Amino acid sequence: MVQALNSTLDHIMSGDNSVILLGEDIGKDGGVFRVTEGLQAKYGEERVIDTPLVELGIVGMSVGMSLMGVKAIPEIQFQDFIYTAFDQIINQMAKMRYRSGGGFTLPMVLRTPYGGGIKGGLYHSQSGEAYFAHTAGLVVVTPSNPYDAKGLLISSVESPDPVIFLEPKRLYRAAKIEVPDEDYRVKIGEAARPVEGDDLTIITYGAMVPTVLNTVKNNNLNADVLDLRTLLPMDVNAIISSAKKTGRVVIVHEAPRTLGMGAEISALISERAIEYLYAPILRVTGPDIPFPYRLEDYYMPNEARIMKAVKRVMEFR
Amino acid sequence: MVNEQNEKDVFVRAYTAMVLSRTFDKKIVMAQRQGRIGFYTPSIGQEATQVGLSMALDHDDVIFQYYRDVALMIHRGVPIEVILDQIMGNAEDESKGRQMPSHYTAKKYNFMSVQSPVATNLPLAVGAAYALRYQKKNTVVVATFGDGSTSTPDFHAAMNLAAVFNLPVIFLCENNGWAISLPTEKQTKVEISEKAAAYGMKGVKVDGNNFIETYRATMEAVERARSGKGPTLIDAISFRMGAHSTSDDPSKYRSQTVEEGSEKDPITVAEEQLKSLGYLNDSLIAKIKEESTKMVNDKFDIQEKIPAPEPSTMFDDVYAEKNWIIKEEEDDIL
Repeated sequence: MVQALNSTLDHIMSGDNSVILLGEDIGKDGGVFRVTEGLQAKYGEERVIDTPLVELGIVGMSVGMSLMGVKAIPEIQFQDFIYTAFDQIINQMAKMRYRSGGGFTLPMVLRTPYGGGIKGGLYHSQSGEAYFAHTAGLVVVTPSNPYDAKGLLISSVESPDPVIFLEPKRLYRAAKIEVPDEDYRVKIGEAARPVEGDDLTIITYGAMVPTVLNTVKNNNLNADVLDLRTLLPMDVNAIISSAKKTGRVVIVHEAPRTLGMGAEISALISERAIEYLYAPILRVTGPDIPFPYRLEDYYMPNEARIMKAVKRVMEFR
Repeated sequence: MVNEQNEKDVFVRAYTAMVLSRTFDKKIVMAQRQGRIGFYTPSIGQEATQVGLSMALDHDDVIFQYYRDVALMIHRGVPIEVILDQIMGNAEDESKGRQMPSHYTAKKYNFMSVQSPVATNLPLAVGAAYALRYQKKNTVVVATFGDGSTSTPDFHAAMNLAAVFNLPVIFLCENNGWAISLPTEKQTKVEISEKAAAYGMKGVKVDGNNFIETYRATMEAVERARSGKGPTLIDAISFRMGAHSTSDDPSKYRSQTVEEGSEKDPITVAEEQLKSLGYLNDSLIAKIKEESTKMVNDKFDIQEKIPAPEPSTMFDDVYAEKNWIIKEEEDDIL
């Protein structure tokens, strides 16, 4: 995924002089995960900016740049460090179009790696997607493979609305699939269905997608798997049609359970398809604790935990 | 720019804007008491600072202002109607009645959109300056803010970034002595202008009650910015003669006041200056005040008749196009 993101950024920058990247260690160093490797050498220090260490300044500057017609693509090194920039994201980035009556718009894309699985402990593992998905004015996306990473990044840069682009860092160097050289787009707001089935629906996104797909394969489940790809706005039609088809739903995400995306998905299904359900909607999520370092394998949802929920849903009477 | 030929006109225009702003503020505070508008943050006492700043700027220069900048807007040519529409939150308002009063947007005049969280406009000004320099425009970007803002992380971030990138930004602190109830000496242990040195930036302290002095200091900062010499922090000292807002009662926390017409009132200072230069006399002053009053009263009555925005407009402009969530909620509520 790192390579797909890197070549897509390169491609976007070569075609549009108004695109500027900024963030900590993204220039000479190429970013701590190497997503921007080589771009400063190619496009110069003015377009690939190594900024001082100040997240709120990175986001605030990006908002100001975008207001003047530059397309800013800021990187926050770890999503865990984004909170000092929260005021800028919630009160400036998300509200500029609304509060200016549509006069000022912000076509910017804020990239940040998120999630666990790299032995990062409390401060290099967080999944804060629900904070952003709770904020009107933002678009929130997260790819689960290199193909979608490219297509979603192009769509995000072309979007007239500000996008939070969450990169599941555990997959940065995992999934190796061929990515076409030519331009293509993954539509914002559209879920993918990597596996089709009739017995139950498993709804997930980001780093949990490969875990779910492996579970389905290893256990020969006849499952409909939805990879949401966009968390705001979610693909409600895909969610509801699948829930109606199978009548049994398990939601899997790494973020803590309480008020996570699973709560919203579950509510949407309850409101629209409760009469189709054969079993309660179950969530398999990270626990409501800070993200632990040494014991992270116990934190992350895994095949055993997913299967426990699947069995409960399948056997419910 | 002021020169020998136009000095009289420029100074009288500046004075007229200050008077119009004062008249406007008093009218709006009164209207709030009468229940005709909801809330207001008057600029009373800061007119000289704001007009002095505006005099030094070109139309293309970009302003990230805060919620107490009416004299600045008036001098820059924003029509009174535009300001009234925002305060009333009516159907003509640029932000469609979405923001509480004093939170203006005036895109045509390069006034950006006002936020409530203080100093969050400062990093935006830095980014805008970066973009404009990248686009090879010789534009200056100004951020205005109060003394309380200098305690925030956004102030620190913006000052540092502007200096590191050597950007054409002017940080103008409208130091009126008070951040709601907290006096400046309890806000910070040093002179605000001295903070600039820590960032490697020029810092200037000016008498913000003197529009000519503020203009000259700003002009120097503008020249520095346009010639690629980087940002400036200006600490313009004035006094908040009114309350923080119409919801605030300063008698609870301060005994110090500046009476209108006293020697510490920036409008009185301007009158003395312009009289001694021979540009104004008492009858001209009376005429300017009378015309301001009539203009504000007339325009208020006209704009007050404009209705509220259509309810459906509250669902617009969250995104370029409404997503299914907003459509569904709109259908449910309306």
